Amino acid sequence: MTSKPSQKTLDMQKLGRHFTWFLIAIAVLLVGLELVVHRHGVAAIEDSFMFPALYGFLAFLFIVQVGKWLRLMIMRPEDYYEGGPSDD
Amino acid sequence: MTSLPPGLIMIITAALLPFVPHIWRQGLMLGAIALSAYGLILGAGDHLVWQVLGYDLVLYRADALSFPFAIIFHIAAALNVIYSWHDRHWSQHCAALSYAGAAIAALHAGDLITLFVWWEATAVTSVFLILAAGTDSARRAAMRYLIFQVLSGVLLLAGAAVLAAKTGSIAFGAMTLGDSASWLIFLAFGIKAAFPLLNGWLQDAYPEATVTGTVALSAFTTKLAIYALARGFAGTEYLIWIGAAMTALPVFFAVIENDLRRVLAFSLNNQLGFMVVAVGIGSELALNGAVAHAFVHIIYKALLFMSMGAVLHQVGTIKASELGGLYKNMPFTMLCCVIGAMSISAFPLFSGFVAKSLTMTALGDTGIMWAYFVLLFASAGVLEHSGIKIPYFAFFAHDRGFKTGEAPLNMRVAMGIAAFLCVAIGVYPAPLYSILPFAVDYHPYDASHVTGQMQLLIFAMLAFVVLVRIRLYPPEIPSVVLNSDWFYRRLAPQIGRPVLGAVMLVWRAFLCQMRGFIGSFWFMLERLLRSPIAGPTIPGPAALVQLLLLMGVLVLGYVAAGA
Repeated sequence: MTSKPSQKTLDMQKLGRHFTWFLIAIAVLLVGLELVVHRHGVAAIEDSFMFPALYGFLAFLFIVQVGKWLRLMIMRPEDYYEGGPSDD
Repeated sequence: MTSLPPGLIMIITAALLPFVPHIWRQGLMLGAIALSAYGLILGAGDHLVWQVLGYDLVLYRADALSFPFAIIFHIAAALNVIYSWHDRHWSQHCAALSYAGAAIAALHAGDLITLFVWWEATAVTSVFLILAAGTDSARRAAMRYLIFQVLSGVLLLAGAAVLAAKTGSIAFGAMTLGDSASWLIFLAFGIKAAFPLLNGWLQDAYPEATVTGTVALSAFTTKLAIYALARGFAGTEYLIWIGAAMTALPVFFAVIENDLRRVLAFSLNNQLGFMVVAVGIGSELALNGAVAHAFVHIIYKALLFMSMGAVLHQVGTIKASELGGLYKNMPFTMLCCVIGAMSISAFPLFSGFVAKSLTMTALGDTGIMWAYFVLLFASAGVLEHSGIKIPYFAFFAHDRGFKTGEAPLNMRVAMGIAAFLCVAIGVYPAPLYSILPFAVDYHPYDASHVTGQMQLLIFAMLAFVVLVRIRLYPPEIPSVVLNSDWFYRRLAPQIGRPVLGAVMLVWRAFLCQMRGFIGSFWFMLERLLRSPIAGPTIPGPAALVQLLLLMGVLVLGYVAAGA
C-alpha cells in the first residue's frame, strides 16, 4: 500500500530525532539552571519555579488548539474569493 | 545638495532608471541611496522650510526620532536593490526605489501637508510592486490596497485641514487624542499601522506582490506609520489596548494559514503590535523599545520574506501544503531563514531579543500586567508561526521531491548581509542603542532574563515537538483563511448588492411616478389652454408664450423704474 519512504524522508526523520534530543538536553539544562540562577520577573508569579517554561508550553498548545477551532469557522476553499460576487 | 530632503534624490534617480542599461542600474540605485544617506549628516534641525500661503512647509526636519528610522530605511532600500539585482526589467526597480525614497522623505516631513504628500506617494509607488506580479488576483488586491492607502491619506489631509482651521498651524508634532482633527489623523496612521479590523489590506496585498516586491513592501509603509504614531501619539493609552490585540490576534490566523508569505504578513502585524504597545506606554525606555524593535524588525522580516521569496523563485510555490524538504537543495537559504526565525522569536544573541526586551521591561515598569502577559503569550505565538512554522514547512516537514538548487547569488548576498546584521546586533547591541532617541542604560543580557526567555522558547518548541510526534499538529491544508478583508470583499457585496438593488427599484418606481405626474400636469395645462376660456382665435401655447413675454416686459419695467 504505502510506498517506500525516500532517502531524504529518512534523513529528515533522523534529523528530527536528533533535534528532539537536542531540545530535551537544553530543557534539562534549563531546569538545572533554574535551581542555580535567581530568576526574577516583573510579576510575582513569574518568580515561581519554571514559570516561563510552563507559560510557553501551555501558550503553544493553546494557540494550536484555538487555531484548530478557528479552522472550523474561517477556513474556506482556495477559490473562495474567485467566482461568486466579484470583490472588485 | 545635502539640504535636499533625504529620499528625494532616490525618487529623481528612479525616474531616470528606464533610460539606464541593466548593467549600470543597480549600481546607480545604490549610489542614489548612499547619496541620500549622506544627506543625514546635517544632523538635527529644520533644514528646508518653504513658506506657502502663510503656512510653514517643513520639507526636511531631522531629530533623534527620525534618525534611526532613516538609517534603517536606507539599509532596507539597499538590501532590496541587491536582492532584486537579477531582475533585468526597470519597472519594479523604479517602483521600489521611489517607494523607499518617498518613505524616507516622509520621515523628514515636519508638517502634516508635506507628510500627506509623501504618505500618498508611498501608496502610489508601492502599488506597482503588487501590480507587477501580473496575475488577476494581484491586480484586484492592488486596487483594494490602493483604496485603503489613499483613504488613509485622505483622512490625514482632512485631519490636517481641521487642525489648520482650528489652530492655524500644520506642524506635525505630539497630539492629544480628543478633537476631530486628532482622531482623523490617528485613524489615518491606524490604517497604515494595520490596527485590528483595519489590517485586511496587509495580509491581502503583500503576499500577492512579486518575489522582490514583498520584501520592499514589508519594510516601509507600516514602519512609517509606527514612526508617525511615535511622533504624534506617544503615551496614548488606547494604543496599549490596540497593540496588545495586534500582538495576539494574528497569531491564531498565522497558525492555520497555508500561504507562507501570508503567514509572514500576519507575523508582521503581530510585530507591529509590540511597537504600538511601546508607543502607547510612551516612556523613554518604551519609545526606545519601539524604535529598536522597528529597526531590527525591518531586517529580520525582510530576511524572512527574502528567504520565502527565494523559495518561491526557485520552486514556483509558497504554499505550505506543497512545500517541504528543501533543506538539502537550499541550505544557505535555510540557514538564513532559521537566523531570521530565531531573531524574530527573540532568542538571546539574536537581534529580536535586544529590542523586544526594552518594550517588555518598559511595560513591566508601568504595572499593566494584563498587557505584559498578553505580549508574553504573543512571544510564544511568534515562535510558533515565524520561528517554527516558516522554516519547518518550507525546508523540512515532507519531502516533495523538488530538484532545485540555491537561489541566485545576489539573493544569497542580500540574505547573507541581513542574517549577519541579525546576529551582529544581537551579539553587540551597543551601536543600535547609541542611535535610539533617548540615552540608554539598559543591559539585556542578565542571567535572569536570558534563562527566562530561553525557558519560554525551548518549552514552547518542546510543545511543538510533542504535537508533531503524537500527530496533533494541524496539517497544512490548501485553503483561504478569512480575515478582516472579508467584510468588504464578501459581506459588503453580499449585503450591499440586494440593498442597492432594492434602493434602485424604489428609485426607478419613484422616477416612473414623477414622470406620470409631469405628463398629467402638461396634459392638464394643454387641455386648459385649448379650452374655450382661452378664446376661439388664439391657440393655447401661443397665448402662454405671449403671457410670459408680457410678464417679462413688466418685470423689466419694474426693475428699470426701481433703478
